[in-house]
Amino acid sequence: MNLICNLFSSFFPNLESDGTHREREQNIDASVRFAVLGLIKGSVVWLLVVSLLGLIVSLKLHSPSYLSEYGWLTYGKAYPAFWNALVYGWLFNAGLACVAWIVARLGGRPIGNGGLLIIASGAWNIAVIIGLFGIFKGDQNPYRMLEFPVYVAPFLFAAFIGIGLWILLAFKARAYRSSFASQWYALAGVFSFLWIFTVAQVMIFCLPAQGVFQSVVAAWFGGNLLGLVVAPFAFAVIYYIIPKVLGQHIIGYGQSGIAFWSWILFASCSGLASLVNGPFPAWVASVGVVASFGLFLPLSVFTMQFVSSFLASFSRVWDTISARFAFYAVVAFIVSTVLLILGSLRGVQEVTQFSQFNDGVRYLFLVGFAGMAFTGMIYYMLPRLLNKELPNSSLADLQFWVQGLGIFTITVSLVAGGYAHGALLNGSDADTIAILFNTKGYLFLTSLGSVIFAFGNFAYAVSFVWILLSPRTEKEKSADLIKSAPELEYTHS
Amino acid sequence: MNRGPFIFIGVLIIVSLSWALTLVKPIQEAGNLQAIGIGNDRIPARLTGLAEQGRDVYQEQGCVNCHTQQTLALVGSDIERGWGERQSMPLDYIDQSPVFTGTNRVGPDLANVGVRRGEANWHYLHFYNPQITSAGSNMPPFDFLFETREIVGEPSDRALELPEGFRPAEGFEVVPTRDADALVAYMLGLSQAYEIEEAPTPEKLAFK
Ligand code: HEC
Repeated sequence: MNLICNLFSSFFPNLESDGTHREREQNIDASVRFAVLGLIKGSVVWLLVVSLLGLIVSLKLHSPSYLSEYGWLTYGKAYPAFWNALVYGWLFNAGLACVAWIVARLGGRPIGNGGLLIIASGAWNIAVIIGLFGIFKGDQNPYRMLEFPVYVAPFLFAAFIGIGLWILLAFKARAYRSSFASQWYALAGVFSFLWIFTVAQVMIFCLPAQGVFQSVVAAWFGGNLLGLVVAPFAFAVIYYIIPKVLGQHIIGYGQSGIAFWSWILFASCSGLASLVNGPFPAWVASVGVVASFGLFLPLSVFTMQFVSSFLASFSRVWDTISARFAFYAVVAFIVSTVLLILGSLRGVQEVTQFSQFNDGVRYLFLVGFAGMAFTGMIYYMLPRLLNKELPNSSLADLQFWVQGLGIFTITVSLVAGGYAHGALLNGSDADTIAILFNTKGYLFLTSLGSVIFAFGNFAYAVSFVWILLSPRTEKEKSADLIKSAPELEYTHS
Repeated sequence: MNRGPFIFIGVLIIVSLSWALTLVKPIQEAGNLQAIGIGNDRIPARLTGLAEQGRDVYQEQGCVNCHTQQTLALVGSDIERGWGERQSMPLDYIDQSPVFTGTNRVGPDLANVGVRRGEANWHYLHFYNPQITSAGSNMPPFDFLFETREIVGEPSDRALELPEGFRPAEGFEVVPTRDADALVAYMLGLSQAYEIEEAPTPEKLAFK
């Protein structure tokens, strides 16, 4: 393998004739530092907001009088605020920071247009803030992940066009003609968001479809937001981190194309499975169920690639903080996708439809998979962007375990609690309140998990501020602190 | 697949196919339903003006995050629970925009709540504090849709008759705001209790 690698880099010697490989990397980092750090800062702030909202939401579900004097924070508003802040606030900031940096690094050249990325990501965050205030004020839409009031949609759209354009230009400016899987996913996520967001806004709000078809569009959008936007950004990160951190190839990289296209194909319909049995055309829901089953194909390719690559250098996974986050993300991806597929089985749907089971699966997918992947990537980027070592790696260690435990607890309580709740609701004649009492333990467990997760996030914030503010040591000022990363990713493409 | 345009076009084609097949096609086929009949026999039945305003309150307060509005007859126990008599159909929703079909059932389905809970006073008390009517519920109180005010002169005849433990201080009364009135009118108007021929019911399913 090393031979191939060396051979390959002899085809592409230093692209910019000036300076060493490491210097070139530093130039790239310098060109994106301000914008990418800005996005990371945004993501950390949003994560704290999300922890707070998540805690409030879960507490309210077993103690409805908690904070009930604040009408703007009633459960029906806090719940969508939580999910939207989670996705559009935290995950989009973190994901776009990772993707922007990855595209710049893989392109092998410093990227201009920094101003565009800075302005667009600032605008994005302002739009998200306005959206949240809109929800609190009472302007929400009753569709999952489209709750932001209609008047913020144009701003979100325009801001995302700015970010997407930057990523596209950065990709176009690449020095290598070949491209790596991370870049495909970055582009796919950007294109998909623009397309699905337009479809949803037009078909629900501008030229509204009749009655229940608005819900069909919303289910399509919600599934695609996870499958075609958030997940691709996370895949981009995993494909990047494995070779860079573990210093080894992705095993079976040749199958990446199959995984990519089949994922896009099946994920683009799988969200419709949630419409089963309702007042919707039955065949549309069936398409969703079939598509969910189709996810087995990309799932098995991803599992083969990622798990065997990790196993091949497993000792490194425990030594390197970013690899450990990525490993957690991969396991969460596998588990949540399996749950998603099982959850579309007719027999399971009959129990779990409308229950917290689906929230649990979504949570694991978004937070356990995408969130942890982005966090790992941020821990890889920060020392390079700042040219500092992580001042306190045991804090990051602690963060990993606490966040990991929190996510695990929340997932278990939502999935198991949702299943228990659904089984009683659909399979017995017990009344709603009796069922509630029977499953209250799970609601408490969710709150416990939210507390744990919030502690982990707090540790993250401290760790982040610490590396930002800590002064550079002598060693950091002088030497090449960071070894240049192996260019393993090009060998197969 | 080294080129950006290739990925762009590939993704565009796949997502557009999904869009055309699962959104455009069904909407063309079935997204242009007409109401049947006119006046009081119209199917679906129309909401009153006040109830229409109640829809806005329902949307503002995010009730959809805990309540669905779709009765399932094919699976589950909605019918046995008395949440409806037949499967909800697309025709039931043609007047509604947005629709509140919902995805979460923390509380019961509300598609027919006006049929099974026809008493306005119950809803007022329930919204003021669900613990009054449904002790142990985790539905949040919506007391901010009510006004607690000092009694000046005669007590209002709109004041809630609250049980012990929920009453405001002596000399104060709780009266519903317009939002509360609208929301209750909406609850009372929520009904799919008319026949739609194609709609599956337990009897029709049994014959199959
Ligand atoms: C936290 C979730 C939650 C929210 C938010 C919520 N509810 Fe409920 N709702 C429940 C639960 C649980 C019950 C069942 C126990 C009870 O009667 O309170 C219920 C019961 C009801 C009932 C009685 C149904 C029946 O068949 O007895 C009505 C009507 C109702 N809710 C309307 C609303 C409206 C209107 C809103 C928004 C203003 C709302 N709910 C918001 C959870 C919620």
